[in-house]
Amino acid sequence: MSETHTMSNFQQAQLNALAESTQSWLGDLNSAGREAFEQAPWPTRKTEAFKYCSLRTLTDDPRAATAPATTASTDAIRAAADIPHFDGYQLVLVNGQVNTELSDALALEQVTLLSQASTEQQALAKEYLGKSLGKTVAGDLDPSHLFNQLNNASLQDAVLVEIKRNSRLDKPLQLCYLNTEADAGFTVNGRVLVVLETGAELELVEHYASLDGTNDNSGDNSFTNAMTEVVVGDNARLIHYRLQLMHNDAAHIGSVWVNLKRDANYQAFHLALGSQLTRNDIVVHHSVGGSHSDINGVYVPLGKQLVDFHTCIEHAVAHCTSNEIFRGIINDQAKAVFNGRIHIHKDAQKTLAELSNKNLLLTNKAEINTKPELEIYADDVKCAHGATVAQLDDKARFYLQSRGISEDEAQVMLSFGFINELLDAMPDKAIGHWLRPILAKRFGREQSFDEDLVETV
Amino acid sequence: MISIQNLQAKVEEKDILKGLSLDIKPGEVHAIMGPNGAGKSTLGNVLAGRDGYEVTGGSATLNGKDILDLEAEERAREGLFLAFQYPVEIPGVSNLEFLKASVDAVREHQGKDALDSVKFLKLAREKCKAVNLDQSFLKRGVNEGFSGGEKKRNELMQMMLLEPSLCILDETDSGLDIDALQVVANGVNAMRDPNRSFIVVTHYQRLLDYIVPDYVHVLADGKIVKSGGKELALELEEKGYSWLDTTTGAQ
Amino acid sequence: MTDAVTSNDEIHEQIRKDYAAGFVSDIESDTIEPGLNEDVIRFISAKKGEPEWMTDWRLKAFAAWQEMEEPDWAHVDYEKPDFQALSYYSAPKSMADGPKSLDEVDPKLLETYDKLGIPLHEQMALAGVAVDAVFDSVSVATTFREKLAEAGVIFMPISEAVHEHPELVKKHLGTVVPQRDNFYSALNSAVFSDGSFVYIPKGVRCPMELSTYFRINEAKTGQFERTLIIADEGSHVSYLEGCTAPMRDENQLQAGVVELVACDDAEIKYSTVQNWYPGDEEGKGGIYNFVTKRAVAHTNAKVSWTQVETGSAVTWKYPSCVLKGDNSVGEFYSVALTNNFQQADTGTKMIHLGKNTKSTIISKGISAGKSQNAYRGLVRMNPNAEGARNYTQCDSLLIGDQCGAHTFPYIESKHPSAVVEHEATTSTVSDDQLFLCRQRGIDTEKAVSMIVNGFCKEVFKELPMEFAVEAGKLLEISLEGSVG
Repeated sequence: MSETHTMSNFQQAQLNALAESTQSWLGDLNSAGREAFEQAPWPTRKTEAFKYCSLRTLTDDPRAATAPATTASTDAIRAAADIPHFDGYQLVLVNGQVNTELSDALALEQVTLLSQASTEQQALAKEYLGKSLGKTVAGDLDPSHLFNQLNNASLQDAVLVEIKRNSRLDKPLQLCYLNTEADAGFTVNGRVLVVLETGAELELVEHYASLDGTNDNSGDNSFTNAMTEVVVGDNARLIHYRLQLMHNDAAHIGSVWVNLKRDANYQAFHLALGSQLTRNDIVVHHSVGGSHSDINGVYVPLGKQLVDFHTCIEHAVAHCTSNEIFRGIINDQAKAVFNGRIHIHKDAQKTLAELSNKNLLLTNKAEINTKPELEIYADDVKCAHGATVAQLDDKARFYLQSRGISEDEAQVMLSFGFINELLDAMPDKAIGHWLRPILAKRFGREQSFDEDLVETV
Repeated sequence: MISIQNLQAKVEEKDILKGLSLDIKPGEVHAIMGPNGAGKSTLGNVLAGRDGYEVTGGSATLNGKDILDLEAEERAREGLFLAFQYPVEIPGVSNLEFLKASVDAVREHQGKDALDSVKFLKLAREKCKAVNLDQSFLKRGVNEGFSGGEKKRNELMQMMLLEPSLCILDETDSGLDIDALQVVANGVNAMRDPNRSFIVVTHYQRLLDYIVPDYVHVLADGKIVKSGGKELALELEEKGYSWLDTTTGAQ
Repeated sequence: MTDAVTSNDEIHEQIRKDYAAGFVSDIESDTIEPGLNEDVIRFISAKKGEPEWMTDWRLKAFAAWQEMEEPDWAHVDYEKPDFQALSYYSAPKSMADGPKSLDEVDPKLLETYDKLGIPLHEQMALAGVAVDAVFDSVSVATTFREKLAEAGVIFMPISEAVHEHPELVKKHLGTVVPQRDNFYSALNSAVFSDGSFVYIPKGVRCPMELSTYFRINEAKTGQFERTLIIADEGSHVSYLEGCTAPMRDENQLQAGVVELVACDDAEIKYSTVQNWYPGDEEGKGGIYNFVTKRAVAHTNAKVSWTQVETGSAVTWKYPSCVLKGDNSVGEFYSVALTNNFQQADTGTKMIHLGKNTKSTIISKGISAGKSQNAYRGLVRMNPNAEGARNYTQCDSLLIGDQCGAHTFPYIESKHPSAVVEHEATTSTVSDDQLFLCRQRGIDTEKAVSMIVNGFCKEVFKELPMEFAVEAGKLLEISLEGSVG
């Protein structure tokens, strides 16, 4: 960048707030991140990757204050982190600080914090942090990697999960990031590194929420800048949930980097229920043959929320398959953006890749911008994508009404059904059980669904 | 009709045919049977000239003409017809258009006048009827959305239209129920002619109840290891292929 | 594709006549020195004896253009033209300079026509096509003008329309594609030399197909044609556009603007067969085809774009519809074929403003050789587009493993009752398919052409019949040597 480069006030404020590096062995990552962040052009509407995604929320209030310590009781935190009937290990962070009392996962040898890592674990972190794709991550995402650079610049601690060869964690692992309301908006730079060795298996649940447990009240005015790097080794299998149920006032920018090795299997479910700004970049890199990915996601913004999913499935080699389904329901004056890219590299023959994005607009103030992209440089491949923006099926609605169901109720049932399909496709029943009433409420239905009925259907 | 001498061929650097010899006279029907991996389908593909099948030795002459140096379409025009085990779909190209192009090419090679569209359509409809396919199949894309049986009958229809001198049926019976099998067999039998020969490649003896061969050969490990009359098929059905192992050393 | 100037006697005659009539006779120098500044624009305007309002309009565009930057968002990679090295005006001095007979025409070009098998004059006789031929920068002949005049249809070079129908030109020029719309539209507005002007009066169904042939002949010239078609209320017109250029080593620039105005209940069908010189097998030479084409459809109007694009080294065009009036309809049918080192970034924009507007997009991209072929489209449902519908089908066919096929559809919806459906698929001409054909005696090239024609069927059926045949053959020629 030239010397005349002027930083946005967001960059300025964040840079001023960056602490001195305390972990000397991370110093290089910190300083490189800092430099790149400082020099990155601020994304505007003319930046293709942010064409529909206004970052005004962040320039209006850079939220660069230091995260306050929480005064919430352990019970309140436990309640906010709880997923009923979910039997898993937990690691709970409040305003970026680990709550040791609720973090039984830290007793596991597979899960550690970078700040407490052994020399061996440090070596692993060094090998993969910022390089999980076998190359510098973020390079593909110019210039949205500005946020990844901020994450690198501020990196002092991270969650490190390592599943050894041919082993599995006996229960799912829940990483729960909870933020609270504060006098001044603050930033939490969350970082997760997951490495599955050959034949390893794991179910990972990333859960981002606000501390009072609901997501429609104002309160939490934090900015979460989360970055997750995942390496799924040969023949390894990862089930990955990434669930965002933050406050309406919060802002969330996240990126997920997935590197799939030979015959790896990756199954993901993303949920975005708001924050005034949600932007997620998901990059799945099929780097060795035989791997398969299923990436599903649901977004249901309301009010004046903006949710933006950018996904990129990289088929770098032959004989890999991917299937991606995202569905959105956009209410009120909310705005949703979906950009799904499938990139078939030269020589990635015999690739099968599919993508589907379906959207419902519920009001005439709501807005959807969707762009499924194919970029193909190999000929013997089968790729298809589809995108629709539509209304609920009139015939289906009429059918329900003809059976005595009110129009509003029919609308709710059909909307719910539209996204429930994806929830049903995921293996963890407890999470489906937990999310269904939350989603139902999103569609204006106050009482929760008859869970037993839903389960038996 | 066709004379194959010591034919050797490999696919992806692997030797599949290792010295196969076979002589077929006009009007004869030869069945080729054998275990999986013996090279049965390879024989058809090599004779038809499929890319990727490399002939490393031996010869094959059709009506006295060496065919191994010819392009696939030239062999077809010389009268060699391969009925595919898995006929491929060609969306967007109508069956009729495809058939006309094919018949035109073969007739031109034979020095015959091209059929005008009216005559051709009449002929195609006739053959369609003969193999019990609905006329609507003529308008659909080549094999597009056809069932397994319909694809095989479509192959048979093409064979009838092109009137080849050598027909190679590559596991035409696989995946067919008895009714469909009978339709195909009846079609083939109707085409038997003193000037036309058949190579019937099959895994099962069942087909040979309907298309009765003059000779049966057992192909194992790239060679013909045993030949006999139609009764050999019955013997194979009864005993399987394993009893041949001792004589051939094949796996 | 088609060479109006050299293959049609009638046009030859017309050309001579028009020259004799002084149409361009006052022009002494046929090509001005390369370079672009206000003086050049005044020169162009003066050459055409344009009224002051026209000169001012050009200068305004030039001022806008100077502030703009050449865009680079398309999925193409090329050396940016040096706008000061181009000549902005070129007219045949006299027929002595133009090819007098077929003998003087580039033999490879003739070979192409031969292969097409349909000489242009036959085509025109067949369809009763009225032709306006644009040779380099000036419109040289317009046939059938009298017959059209009987029906009240105006079909003439836009340079003449500026004099004869200034009120119509003034009213509509630049209303569909504003000067500042983009870099190339601004440039075109400043320097456009000629093009076609069509006006169909209220309720008139144009009695014949109208057609324009564009040909770039001079080296180092840019062609900046400008076409304006106005279909008044309840009228109907079908318009064909053909493009060709001889082979040259250097790249030539073609930056046209086409504006269509479909008034209430009117219908415009605009078909293009584009075969600008694509460059050679090594990617040397060829036309840069950066065209802005846009239509406005008023209440109940219908606009249909059909294009078969096989030529040009770099193509960058998005024939678009602004569906302004309620119940208006926009259609886009496209076959874009790229071979060797060609690059195409093409598609459409359907902007739904009115209620119950409807659009259909059928795009077929064929990539062969080392070419790159991208579909880029925008479907926008504005807040008032109640009940609007779009259906998009976007298929790619890849031939060989050195080429690329890309799809970038932008979908923006702001109305809950609007329905948008987009589907895209890719396929290839597989070895299995080719082998089946060959085993039935059909050679590879024939087989490929059957498959390709099958792939394009949905678009070809939108073309006028004689063009559909030609388009199919053009694809065959363009694909020669790409398989097997």
